[in-house]
Amino acid sequence: MQSPGKATAPDQAVKTLVVIPRNCTGCRTCEVACAFVHSTGGRLGRSRIQVHPVGPERFVQITCLQCVEAACAKVCPTAALVRNPTTCALEVNAARCIGCGLCEAACPFGHMHFDTELRLAIKCNLCGGRPACATFCPHKALEWR
Amino acid sequence: MDVKLKINDVEVSAQKGEYLLDVARKAGFEIPSLCHHEAVRPIGSCRVCLVEVVAGGKTSLTTSCNYVVEPGIEVTTDSELIHKMRAVNLELLLARAPGARRVRDLAARYGVSRPRFAPVDDNWLPNCILCELCVRVCEHQGHSALSTLGRGDQKKIGLPFNRPAESCVGCGACYSVCPTECILMKETRTNRTIWGQTFDFVPCKECGAPVITEKHRDFAIKNQELPENYYDLCEACKQAAASKRFASVAW
Repeated sequence: MQSPGKATAPDQAVKTLVVIPRNCTGCRTCEVACAFVHSTGGRLGRSRIQVHPVGPERFVQITCLQCVEAACAKVCPTAALVRNPTTCALEVNAARCIGCGLCEAACPFGHMHFDTELRLAIKCNLCGGRPACATFCPHKALEWR
Repeated sequence: MDVKLKINDVEVSAQKGEYLLDVARKAGFEIPSLCHHEAVRPIGSCRVCLVEVVAGGKTSLTTSCNYVVEPGIEVTTDSELIHKMRAVNLELLLARAPGARRVRDLAARYGVSRPRFAPVDDNWLPNCILCELCVRVCEHQGHSALSTLGRGDQKKIGLPFNRPAESCVGCGACYSVCPTECILMKETRTNRTIWGQTFDFVPCKECGAPVITEKHRDFAIKNQELPENYYDLCEACKQAAASKRFASVAW
């Protein structure tokens, strides 16, 4: 298995989720889109992106930064966080996750979540290369380019 | 790719030392399992992943999760015999764990709705199928705070020697992986009780919400190379702090 914490240098073809807080109006369409895309068994998923108000009419969208030296991958006792070679996203391999909750506590930005019903860690996986949040953002505050 | 074998008459290659269940699933064949978890060593205790293996002219029924692939073997993942044997095993499991959703669903797929065997009176841990997945997951993390107690039909799962275990950090991984969801865990805002032991949560420095148990944090700090303050804040407060930092560069 490849090292989970290290990303290979992304080549030109790899796109990035670009977050532009200046354009964000706080409509939270990204949160809804994310919850829909990550639904399981007829149940809405937990949104992997959150919009935080930071001042009058100012918002910052908070989502996983896909760190190169990721704290979540470092603490994971089962190497369940694996780098997707095409999108460079760190993804939770549900078959290896034991639900100890350490990654959630270790992420310094609060981007690891724990699904109490699935009893698994969940995080942004960039929707496998087509992030719904960027697709549905009506204000070009999230772009996939 | 140095081991060549046949699964359901399809030529499949695998790495030396790989387990049959993993190889078969990777090749797209479906094999049911309850006690299997990719992160820990397989022990073949639930016996639901039975397959037929022909090796050296001999046919045998074996658990695929802990069968190391050998060159030239021919594997059948589903046949009338396999179906029958899995159904009997599921009948036995259902007698032990009638309240377990995954066991019930799997048994129903094999045509078992009510076992002919007498229900097992398990007051210790109702619905436990003794698959030891919790024990293995605990051991894998380096705690080894769970073990089997007793033998034969008296066998049960608990803290070693049924005494309070210093090595348990209250992480709750056993609760998360249990295939029958039989492990009890109670949480309040300040603590978590599991296996009869209560663990205090690290309160978020900003809002007081639970982060992880204190013992789990201490274990993580001792064994990982992350800064100690990584465990100070809860998810929401970490996000709020991050959003303020990002805002300062965005405007």
